[in-house]
Amino acid sequence: MAQIPNLDNAPVNLTSIREQSQKELINILKNVRGKKCLVIDPKLGDSLSLTIQTSILKEQGVELRHLSAEPIQSDCNKVIFLVRSQLNLMRFICSNVHDDISKGLQREYHVYFVPRRTVACEKVLEDEKLHHMITIGEYPLYMVAMDEDVLSFELDLSYKECQVDGDASSLWHIAKAIHKLEFSFGVIPHVRAKGKASVRIADILNRMEAEEPINSSDMAVPEINTVILLDREVDMVTPLCSQLTYEGLIDEFLHINNGSVEIDASVLGLQQEGKKTKVPLNSSDKLFKEIRDLNFEVVVQILRQKATSMKQDYTDMTTTTQSVSELKDFVKKLNSLPEMTRHINLAQHLSTFTSKPSFLGQLDMEHTIIESQSYDICFEYIEELIHKQEPLTTVLRLLVLFSITNAGLPKKHFDYFRRELLHSYGFEHIATLNNLEKAGLFKKQESKSNWLTIKRTLQLVVEDTDTANPNDIAYVFSGYAPLSIRLIQHAIRSGWRPVEEVLKLLPGPHLETRRGGFSNSPSFDTFYGVSNSIDKVPDGRRSLVLVVFVGGVTFAEISALRFLSAQAFSVVSSWQLLTEQNLKGPKKTWHMI
Amino acid sequence: MANVSVAAEWQLLYNRYYRKPELYPMRWKHVDLARNKIAAAPFGGPLAVIRDDSKIVQLHGESALRKLRLFSSSGHLLADTVWRNPGGRLIGMSWTDDHTLVCVVQDGTVYRYDVHARLIEPNLSLGKECFESNVADCAFWGNGVVCITESNQLFCIADFKNPNAVKLADPGIVEPPRCMAVIEPQYTVSGNVEVLLGVGDGGEEEDAAVIAVEEDGVQRLGGEMLRGPLQKMVVSRDGKWLASFTHDGRLLVTTSDLTGVIIERECESALPPEQLAWCGMDAVLLYWDDMLLMMGPDGEPVTYLYDEPIILIPECDGVRILSNASMEFLQRVPDSTVSIFTIGSTSPAALLYDALDHFDRRSAKADENLRLIRSSLPEAVEACVDAAGHEFDVSRQRTLLRAASYGQAFCSNFHRDRIQEMCKILRVLNAVRSFEIGIPLSIQQYKLLTPSVLIGRLINAHQHLLALRISEYLGMNQEVVIMHWACAKITASLAIPDATLLEILLDKLKVCKGISYAAVAAHADKNGRRKLAALLVEHEPRSSKQVPLLLSIGEEDTALMKATECGDTDLVYLVLFHIWQKRQPLEFFGTIQARQLARDLFITYARCYKHEFLKDFFLSTGQLQDVAFLLWKESWELEKNPMASKGSPLHGPRIKLIEKAQNLFAETKEHTFESKAAEEHAKLLRLQHELEVTTKQAIFVDSSISDTIRTCIVLGNHRAALKVKTEFKVSEKRWYWLKVFALATIKDWAALEKFSKEKKPPIGYRPFVEACIEADEKGEAIKYIPKLADPREKAESYARIGMAKEAADAAAQSKDGELLGRLKLTFAQNAAASSIFDTLRDRLSFQGAS
Repeated sequence: MAQIPNLDNAPVNLTSIREQSQKELINILKNVRGKKCLVIDPKLGDSLSLTIQTSILKEQGVELRHLSAEPIQSDCNKVIFLVRSQLNLMRFICSNVHDDISKGLQREYHVYFVPRRTVACEKVLEDEKLHHMITIGEYPLYMVAMDEDVLSFELDLSYKECQVDGDASSLWHIAKAIHKLEFSFGVIPHVRAKGKASVRIADILNRMEAEEPINSSDMAVPEINTVILLDREVDMVTPLCSQLTYEGLIDEFLHINNGSVEIDASVLGLQQEGKKTKVPLNSSDKLFKEIRDLNFEVVVQILRQKATSMKQDYTDMTTTTQSVSELKDFVKKLNSLPEMTRHINLAQHLSTFTSKPSFLGQLDMEHTIIESQSYDICFEYIEELIHKQEPLTTVLRLLVLFSITNAGLPKKHFDYFRRELLHSYGFEHIATLNNLEKAGLFKKQESKSNWLTIKRTLQLVVEDTDTANPNDIAYVFSGYAPLSIRLIQHAIRSGWRPVEEVLKLLPGPHLETRRGGFSNSPSFDTFYGVSNSIDKVPDGRRSLVLVVFVGGVTFAEISALRFLSAQAFSVVSSWQLLTEQNLKGPKKTWHMI
Repeated sequence: MANVSVAAEWQLLYNRYYRKPELYPMRWKHVDLARNKIAAAPFGGPLAVIRDDSKIVQLHGESALRKLRLFSSSGHLLADTVWRNPGGRLIGMSWTDDHTLVCVVQDGTVYRYDVHARLIEPNLSLGKECFESNVADCAFWGNGVVCITESNQLFCIADFKNPNAVKLADPGIVEPPRCMAVIEPQYTVSGNVEVLLGVGDGGEEEDAAVIAVEEDGVQRLGGEMLRGPLQKMVVSRDGKWLASFTHDGRLLVTTSDLTGVIIERECESALPPEQLAWCGMDAVLLYWDDMLLMMGPDGEPVTYLYDEPIILIPECDGVRILSNASMEFLQRVPDSTVSIFTIGSTSPAALLYDALDHFDRRSAKADENLRLIRSSLPEAVEACVDAAGHEFDVSRQRTLLRAASYGQAFCSNFHRDRIQEMCKILRVLNAVRSFEIGIPLSIQQYKLLTPSVLIGRLINAHQHLLALRISEYLGMNQEVVIMHWACAKITASLAIPDATLLEILLDKLKVCKGISYAAVAAHADKNGRRKLAALLVEHEPRSSKQVPLLLSIGEEDTALMKATECGDTDLVYLVLFHIWQKRQPLEFFGTIQARQLARDLFITYARCYKHEFLKDFFLSTGQLQDVAFLLWKESWELEKNPMASKGSPLHGPRIKLIEKAQNLFAETKEHTFESKAAEEHAKLLRLQHELEVTTKQAIFVDSSISDTIRTCIVLGNHRAALKVKTEFKVSEKRWYWLKVFALATIKDWAALEKFSKEKKPPIGYRPFVEACIEADEKGEAIKYIPKLADPREKAESYARIGMAKEAADAAAQSKDGELLGRLKLTFAQNAAASSIFDTLRDRLSFQGAS
């Protein structure tokens, strides 16, 4: 299991939230006495691995299993299912119980739903006539701290649920999670939202506050000053571009899953051939913290410099005489050697991908599409990719980007691409195409695109980006400033008003409100983690901003936010760190669900 | 002096004083304790009175039917009802902790009444065995009862809140026991009730014993130590001690497990007392006809004479004595009171009390007194406050508090809140002690009972106003009171029209923020006032409470609207399933079709678990394309099914499904593309099936058109590949890519070259170059690179196969400086190649500059 991130430097006390989650889980386990088998749905297992050590679970007399269609092999006669309240998971629970019944096994069953029990899931158990055999409970895990400045709501399917199926459950979930945060850190006085879902969340949040008010007198000053909610739908361009930060690239090629990446041991120069090894990636790794947000080009240089200076020190050490304190410094540096080798190996591994002509061509094309000047070149490039039967995700990524920047494709081209896709990749992908169309990602052109206006007004393309000494967030995509972060930059600096015209061009309504009866009492020391701020409340207090990406976020965007937050600190929250895989993955498998 | 008269009413027992103030003269008329069975609740609770049917009494022109009457402790009639319950004689009657009157009759039936004398349904039973052999006696405690039948078997209901009758172990006795007592479950080791039975006949000392019976075992206790059978037993409040009266007229106090005798005292009578009771923890009361005897651990017993029958009601700090005419409270005089009022007391508290008296009379002696006790003033004040708390007499409370307050003025370090706190408590106590309310709580009882239980009892007795005032005064949550009031009001106001009643209710409900309107509405609904319920639930702010109630009162559409509004999809599902179950499918479809969120959620659920039903829905709403998508998906699942093995005629059903989907798509104009695609898919499956039959290789089905073409070429079946191409109108462009890559896969370089010469390729020679480079065949690649039209492509291709010189030349031809730079990087390791690029680039920039 991955290493649990250290949260000591978090801008708000995330440790207490995590400890609360740990305690709740342990209580659940304690309530079922004796030896028991804990069956976790695999996705949830990943979230839990960021919350609690397996060893602690084992101390509770737990045998760990993953939930699947296969019957559980265990001698325990007490079984606890810990599952997200997802309809399709109920099928597995039912088949497990039925299997036991058919074998004549008598067991005690507990089902704990995360984060809460739902009528729909219970209905499935009821229809299967298993309801009476099962004790039902809930485990209110609404969010998981991915890192000291990133929270995740662990809703990896929500973008699809929301945009394609119209299932708005995740909006309630997210509002509830924010409300929970408010119970710990006070009512957040400023709310800015853009997008249909975000505005709805703000509305639900207000409702929750009315139904279950937070006693604001208990808290001196709310620790979080502003929450910015942003629909992924507002900016679908950014997640489709290849991320060029160090962390972003690792994700692009090796896929970061819950704060760690799984790679062949050989990549790290370890001897075990063919074995997979997990590398945790979070701010507890000092070197990673330093380089994760930088453009990959720069990272390579920095690593080289560090290696050289280390070598230099080493030669100095062997040739000249050193004082004891100098020796101590050297030894201290040596301690960081494993981290350095690890990242040098990783970076080397990454460059084998980045130097491929196909990747360079793809980057080139992304920029051409964003520039939105040469329709035909883009068209032909994508056409060729399809003909060459390049991986479907690569193709769809460009195609969707192409469609979005053009507000859809002319009917003739739309149908042409669809036909070519079905012919090249198989007819089952009709479902994928249908979903993409429903979500408005790949569609028929119905109106003129206003991408050019948006791009120009918000200065999304920045010429001459110095990736080594960036002065704008555009460095994360080597020249393209992510639209989402540009909007947030405005929202933090001056609110929506100055950019209202552009906001109207983007999908969904926007909203800006003040809530809570909290009066701005001057208190300076309750905020932490903030250096020179661009957003100063009138009395000069530094403010903490919670940014919520409704529908996912990419690592590059987080990097860009960190770049901004070098000025004003923010906590990033997301439904789920959105990566290419998360975006398309659910769609690809849609017809099987 | 006043002090003398106070102490004059005390009696000394051993070294302690006892007093017996009258709490109330009883207000009732014509109640003779001798004729009646009485049940009195502790903590100043109500009294239940019913004519004793085991006694022969003369009826003075009253009805032969018995009446159950409930009184407050002051004798104020609360309610009455006619006793018509079958089941034989009333054996025992007692109040439970939550003021339910429990009556056990001969056949083991248990009737329960609330404080308003309403029978609580259903009646309980102690079981069939009790029914068959009559109940002879029973003993109660807090919330439970134990009965002994005529066949000497014991049955128990441990908790009336969860009434299950349990048979205890067989005590194994033939003769009925002489007496019975219980130790409450909370004081026993096992956590279950323990019943003590006094057995043995007078003659044989060895036979005499106490039998302790539990659920799973019987124990014989005592034996020799008792020296004969016990006639009467009573367990102390804390379950530790047992007071008993022996056959030869001794009072025995032992531990409750009968391992040691604490006190043994001779009484003058060998006749067992009618009543035996503990007075607090340090004295035992014995009552014979007209004489009440109080015995302490030592010294002369105190005797009280009564010329009328009395009932002893044990409390935690004393005993209430009920007679026909009055209610008294026999209590040990608290130490603080003793220190103030004992005759000749010179304790600081007494001097302080005296000082106030002098002060009131403007005597200088007040000051003198104060000076005498200066150092111990705080404890004097404390004693006055404490004594005030124990007083029932309001004027004496006041005097004591004034004394305290007077003393407090002279001492700086006294905790000031003490007096205020005591005043608060006394106000509450005096309020509930009033005649009308009739709850004579002592301060110790009040503290043990807790204010919230007291409020609970008040609202239970419908004293809502007082309860509300008290909870307001003590700063407690008023919600409980208001809520109970609202419900009681609804029950009692059948005649008031909905709108008026609503207004009355809202007026009070708004007092409490966060009160559950839904709970009140639910009560209204239970009382058959559905409309009122609907009006009330409107005001509920919590959707999670509101929606379920709306459903239960049949307001499904409003429920659906509210659930959708609040954004909690779980509530929407709740409504959805409710409507689904209640309505006909078509009507159900109609309802949800109009509501987007509900519809989408239904579809999500149905997609997982109600596939066929979902089809019905789409058909009913005319969403034919969605049905088509479902069918198409089904066709896919059929494939995954292992039963549909490849190459078998089972492809038939799949194709049929797809064709069905095709037809459905064709119904709407917008879906011609899908229709066409479905048609092609069906055609492809047929073709692939044929191919599998002819090639005898099961590798075609479910690959894409492009893959099928590739496979054909790889297998060398060019005719089949061409057939697929024409059949599906594959474009020349795609054809070239596919064929080139397929040929490269099997490394058929000759065929590739032949193909390149067939005609001028429609997409140039790039595919050929790429295929060769990817296969790492430099020699082959060189054949095609020169044919590339774009010099830049040429340069890069050369570069990729490591031909620096040629790459540089091509790049120079393209006059692209950036490209040159990039290529140079590629060749960085190779110094010679690098210099070529530098020269070329210099020449380029020079050109640019000129």
